[in-house]
Amino acid sequence: MKVLVVDDEPQIRRALRTSLEAHGYEVATVGTGDEGVVSAAEAQPDLVLLDLGLPDMDGTEVIRRIRGFSDVPVIVLSVREQMTDKVAALDAGADDYVTKPFGMEELLARARAAIRRAGPDEPPQPTLRYGDLEIDLARRLVTSGGEPVHLTPTEYALLESLATNPGKLLTHQWLLRRVWGQGYGTETTYLRTYVRTLRKKLGDDASAPALIVTEPGVGYRWIGEST
Amino acid sequence: MKAPNGGGTVASVVVDRSSRRIVPFTARALGIGLFATIIGALISLLTRLGSDQIQVGTVVAVFMLSVTMAAVTGGLWAGVVAAILASVTLPFMESKGKLPSFNGPRDLIAAVVFLAIAVVIGLVVGNAADERDRAARSEREARLLAYLSTKLLSGDVPDRVLDEFVMILLEPLGLASCHVAVSLDGHAIEAKAQRDGLPPGGPTEVIPIVVANIPLGTLIAERPAGRRPFNRDERLLLEAATRQAAVALDRARLDARARLAQVDAETNQLRAAMFSSVTHDLRTPLASIKAGVTSLLDEGAIHDARQQRDLLVTILEETDRLNRLVGNILDLAKIRAGALISRRVPTAVDEVAEAVVARMRPRLGGVVVDLQLQDDLPDIPADPMQLDQVLTNLLENAARHSPPGGTIRIHATQTDTAVRLRVADEGPGIHVDDREKVFEAFYRGRQSPESPGSGLGLSIARAIVTAHGGRIWVEETMGGGTAMVLDMPIRETGL
Repeated sequence: MKVLVVDDEPQIRRALRTSLEAHGYEVATVGTGDEGVVSAAEAQPDLVLLDLGLPDMDGTEVIRRIRGFSDVPVIVLSVREQMTDKVAALDAGADDYVTKPFGMEELLARARAAIRRAGPDEPPQPTLRYGDLEIDLARRLVTSGGEPVHLTPTEYALLESLATNPGKLLTHQWLLRRVWGQGYGTETTYLRTYVRTLRKKLGDDASAPALIVTEPGVGYRWIGEST
Repeated sequence: MKAPNGGGTVASVVVDRSSRRIVPFTARALGIGLFATIIGALISLLTRLGSDQIQVGTVVAVFMLSVTMAAVTGGLWAGVVAAILASVTLPFMESKGKLPSFNGPRDLIAAVVFLAIAVVIGLVVGNAADERDRAARSEREARLLAYLSTKLLSGDVPDRVLDEFVMILLEPLGLASCHVAVSLDGHAIEAKAQRDGLPPGGPTEVIPIVVANIPLGTLIAERPAGRRPFNRDERLLLEAATRQAAVALDRARLDARARLAQVDAETNQLRAAMFSSVTHDLRTPLASIKAGVTSLLDEGAIHDARQQRDLLVTILEETDRLNRLVGNILDLAKIRAGALISRRVPTAVDEVAEAVVARMRPRLGGVVVDLQLQDDLPDIPADPMQLDQVLTNLLENAARHSPPGGTIRIHATQTDTAVRLRVADEGPGIHVDDREKVFEAFYRGRQSPESPGSGLGLSIARAIVTAHGGRIWVEETMGGGTAMVLDMPIRETGL
């Protein structure tokens, strides 16, 4: 597995290289957005870790250029103060973000999830299972403890969008376009109402979630553990 | 005008009392003299009605009285007029309708006596009247100046003081308009007052406003067209008033400077306190981290697996603490610099509260969170990430002051105008005197001066809430713990 690290701080590059290599990854590091785009094309990495605060180029622009030729998963590294940049990066096609300073454990978990999602398309699982909850993708049926859960078509579409992107932070805009259509993107109140209903029907407590996590102001993440 | 030595006290000399002037001859004096003589003549005639005998002594006495009365009432010139007329009239009174027969020396003596009486009484009375006038005027002037000085030195803002100053001068000096233009430390102030219905363009006085040889500006006093020019006393009064205004303006200027210096000093003091607090808070975790790392790198030291792990856990905790502190300091700096930009969108308080609790739960140790959110809470216009930060700070604060195994109760309800959030802990509570202080930056509770908090979380929370038009305050819970109560307006307010 090849990981490309794009960060202008040599200390961060060194720390990431050491930790990632210790976990068996092959690591390439560059310090500018330009080099990042070139390396992403030439080295064909399996994952890109991209710092948002590059000196030469807006991180969002780097993502846009990489997306021009590759679907490689991109995890954005940012400081807390760059919240709006982070949302823009996600909307531009980044898969996830990790806030600096981060724990390696967290970064590695995100990296593994991103690489898994992007992996060679396994034969699509007809049924997703999370403990008592079963989602039958082929027949569009949801059951909880064997009892059917009645969902409206929109609720089901929302659930499917979330559950088929496990671990990925899905922005409001992405979910709205995916579920309601291209004309949508800012109707967050709408989205929130559906997420609330969905949680209630699935029996997921938002303050101690097992399935859907809220990232205030950004979006939602499916954290259901497949069983 | 030269600046007065000693800075012009309130009782500065206005009227030069050594100037004795002769009361000018006026039509009034002539009238009074004439009138007195006519009255005298009439009384003399009346005394003759009763008898054919002419009482010469009586007539002379009557005319003496009329001269005296004229001098007393009308002053010197009225007396002189009455005396001359009396001298001329006296012979007629004795002539029984025939041509007057001058009684040589006797009439001359009478005329001289009349004149002497008139002059003596006239001078005495005139001087007395003059003195009375002067006294009345100088009292009026003194009162005006005293009033001005209280007004001018009241410490009110110079603009308002000057407005009143020009207004006060109008009436006593008979002005059509009064105009003051000054420059205080480069700050121009102007004041103008005028009486309606008076034609401008009359006699005008221009008086420089000067303090300690520094020109501050000018006063322009203008009478209505056609009025007499300013006399010496009026000019002196105007100058005295201007001098007082100059002193007052100078004082205002110095006051402003002193205030600025004081604000500067206070800001510096606050900055110094912040600086030392921040330095301490930043250095402490850095010291722990460096100690831990150097210990692990020390080839001479032998750590077993548990010791190594202890050191590493310490390093991790201190890094997190440092990270939170830096984040808080940056936030506060942003707030102070006015760079806290709220991106307000319809936000669900309950959703944010749930997300914060979900994220924080693993970090709360043994503390239990009881979340009760009213159904159908309306969305509020807010920046969801900033609201997230407020709730995170409140929850962290509550957790820090909770006893082990305690419960933090978070309630969200709707009031008429706001969504109200209440975060209550079972801690020791906050003394009633300190309930506002906890929102000050770098404040730490009395019970926990060394608590791990940065003393910034609540002040950041308040800054964010205030920027949203909301309120945050401290209440006491039934059990004596602390409740942080937060009202976030349902409708867009402010900013």
